[in-house]
Amino acid sequence: MLARVAENLYWMARYLERAEDTARLINATTMLLMDMPRGASFGWDDLLRVVGLDKAFHQYYDEASEAAVMSFLIQDERNPSSIFACVRLARENTRTFREVLPRESWEWVNELYLYTSTHLTSALDRRKRFEILNEIIRRRQAVVGLLAGTMSRDEGFQFMRLGRNLERADMTTRVLDVSHAINVPYQNSHAALKLNLPDLIWMSVLHALSAHQMYRRHVGVHASGHKVLAFLLNDLLFPRSVRHCLHEIQFALGELPGVEPMRHLQGMLDQVDRADYRALATSGLHAFCDDLQARLAELNAVIAQTYFRAAHPQKMTQSLFSLV
Amino acid sequence: MKIDCESYPLLGGFDELLEAPGKPRNGAEGLCDYFSELPTDELEARHRAVDAAIMASGITFTVYSEAGNIDRAWPFDVVPRIIEKAEWDRIEAGLKQRLQALNRFIDDLYHEQKIIQDGVFPAEVLADSKNFRAACIGANPPFGVWAHICGTDLVRDGDGTVYVLEDNLRVPSGVSYMLENRQLMKKLFPELFARYDVLPVDDYTAQLYDMLAALSPREGDRPEIAVLTPGVFNSAYFEHSYLAQQMGAHLVEGSDLVVLDDDCVYMKTIEGLTRLDVIYRRVDDDFIDPEAFRADSALGVPGLMRAWKAGKVGIANAPGSGVADDKVVYAYVPQMIEYYLGEKAILPNVPSYLCMHKADCDYVLANLDKLVVKPANESGGYGMLIGPKSTAEEQAKFAELIMENPRNYMAQPTLALSTVPTLCDGVIEPRHVDLRPFILQSKDVYVTRGGLTRVALRRGSLVVNSSQGGGSKDTWVVQGAI
Repeated sequence: MLARVAENLYWMARYLERAEDTARLINATTMLLMDMPRGASFGWDDLLRVVGLDKAFHQYYDEASEAAVMSFLIQDERNPSSIFACVRLARENTRTFREVLPRESWEWVNELYLYTSTHLTSALDRRKRFEILNEIIRRRQAVVGLLAGTMSRDEGFQFMRLGRNLERADMTTRVLDVSHAINVPYQNSHAALKLNLPDLIWMSVLHALSAHQMYRRHVGVHASGHKVLAFLLNDLLFPRSVRHCLHEIQFALGELPGVEPMRHLQGMLDQVDRADYRALATSGLHAFCDDLQARLAELNAVIAQTYFRAAHPQKMTQSLFSLV
Repeated sequence: MKIDCESYPLLGGFDELLEAPGKPRNGAEGLCDYFSELPTDELEARHRAVDAAIMASGITFTVYSEAGNIDRAWPFDVVPRIIEKAEWDRIEAGLKQRLQALNRFIDDLYHEQKIIQDGVFPAEVLADSKNFRAACIGANPPFGVWAHICGTDLVRDGDGTVYVLEDNLRVPSGVSYMLENRQLMKKLFPELFARYDVLPVDDYTAQLYDMLAALSPREGDRPEIAVLTPGVFNSAYFEHSYLAQQMGAHLVEGSDLVVLDDDCVYMKTIEGLTRLDVIYRRVDDDFIDPEAFRADSALGVPGLMRAWKAGKVGIANAPGSGVADDKVVYAYVPQMIEYYLGEKAILPNVPSYLCMHKADCDYVLANLDKLVVKPANESGGYGMLIGPKSTAEEQAKFAELIMENPRNYMAQPTLALSTVPTLCDGVIEPRHVDLRPFILQSKDVYVTRGGLTRVALRRGSLVVNSSQGGGSKDTWVVQGAI
């Protein structure tokens, strides 16, 4: 497989995963907003921090209001991680390797783009947001399903699998990281209102990752900190848990040549396996997530170095940029 | 309101579907009946469905403009053009004959040039050829074939005669539209296919693969084949990726390839370098190898010519084959057919006046308002003068250009191109068309069944090029109506 094509496939999968994850995150946040006591201010800056875009945002906006943050995350082309920018980049990438994918996948990605470009502006409106973002998620999932059902498990497929799971693991660590940040202010209001808010916050974290249903089914009805952390970081079966993503990456790497990425992966598996989740629920979560993110970024760089280098004798590749 | 064959305003020239108002040609009866019965709103609904399908599948070409490159869908017209199989068989034989003679000619030019020594082809035409590549002299591509893929433009004049307008031997495009148009028609008018035996077109990509595979320098069942594209910003990028996809070939850019000291061509893959056997290049000669041709080309592969001449890689079309893609050389094709094959040309050329000949030149200069004047080496309909539609000022400009460089110009009478009924703003009206079949040659010779029908969508226009307001139609070679 051409190094250039492999790289474009990897990034196409990352962009699409990022678009979907952002849409899910925004939907969950919008729902959470409505559960908050009136007058309680939501930390929009925290949400920006989740996706690692707080600095980029403040280049263009002064205040992190709901309208500004939603616009920035959903449709602002100046934000390379906005849903629109991700879908557009995924489409541009797909154009360059139509020959390696089943034919309809280009059509579906193109349709996803056409839908996104015509409907996204309406998603700024809270009333329509849920519906439009869900449609984007649905269309993106259709592409994933199409590939799962029609594409040979060849190298191209494995590069998409790598990209998708690396991106997803990264998003999970980010959402967990911010849960810590938004937990603190609400713990105070919890005391004041005598509400079980931490429970609500952990539940909202599960919601942000579309994990609530599987959590309830496999862990329990109550969202307690250490159980949520263990579920999202170390569960073997839930597809958005970090451990599951790492296993997916492991399978993909197993089908590809090169040993260096696999070596890096092992360290991360050990990390989530040996963590003390009860302790992390009270302290150290931020440092833990930071460390995982740094290791994912390193893995990304090793993958680029191992597989994509031939495509770029001199110039900087998109894979060498840090994550998000 | 219904679309009515009776009221169809024939233009007086040759119409491909109707002999006279209300009188369909042989083979076209079923089609005309069908469209007569189809209510207008239903027809328009299907037309809209076509546009949506084109938009969704991203069948586009890129138009260069000051505002940047825009992707545009190429307009597709829902009324197919029909050719009876018996007539097609004759055209097919003529196209095969023509490409075989052209390939003998190219091979001769790069070797002994017997045709010049024998006085059949003038040495001065070759001397002034822009596309003759000295670097190719003495090269021996497999089967002595240089032009493996040819897109020949055919037109029909008012009296029904089919003429060859030009042979595109460099990087002819459009075949993907031919294939896509058929897919669209099948999806949107399935009931029409029940009324006809339409010869299928979709074996083209398998034929293209076999033709390319025959050029592989290595033994083996599955040679590594790649389509070389200038990149995603090229106007025909859709087609490049489409063909690669259909053949299961790699789609590569120049920077994906490297030629090593062993003169072999390698692809840069995730596992390092992999040898490539055959390149279907969609990059012009000028740009394929900065070592041999334009040094500033970023699209090519340094050393590619070296690899090709050493027989380590097959290239289609071979470098240098563009020498026969020249509107002056074109005028000599009937003589080539006689010279190399000992046969009469089955398909006639459009009568041509070569400005390099004094008498022809005088005639052209005196009749600029009646003729179509073409530069020898342009394509895409650029740089032409269409006499009857030109101003005195444009004619004066062309007179000057011709006198400056007579070898570079030729002229033909303005043909009354045939028409096909076409849906224009809810009404079916005649529009002018041409036809581009594609011919493949390496070990064997193959011709597409039909080809790409291009249609000038503007009323009265004769220009069918996609970049200048043209659209396309599905082309049916039919066994006869049921």
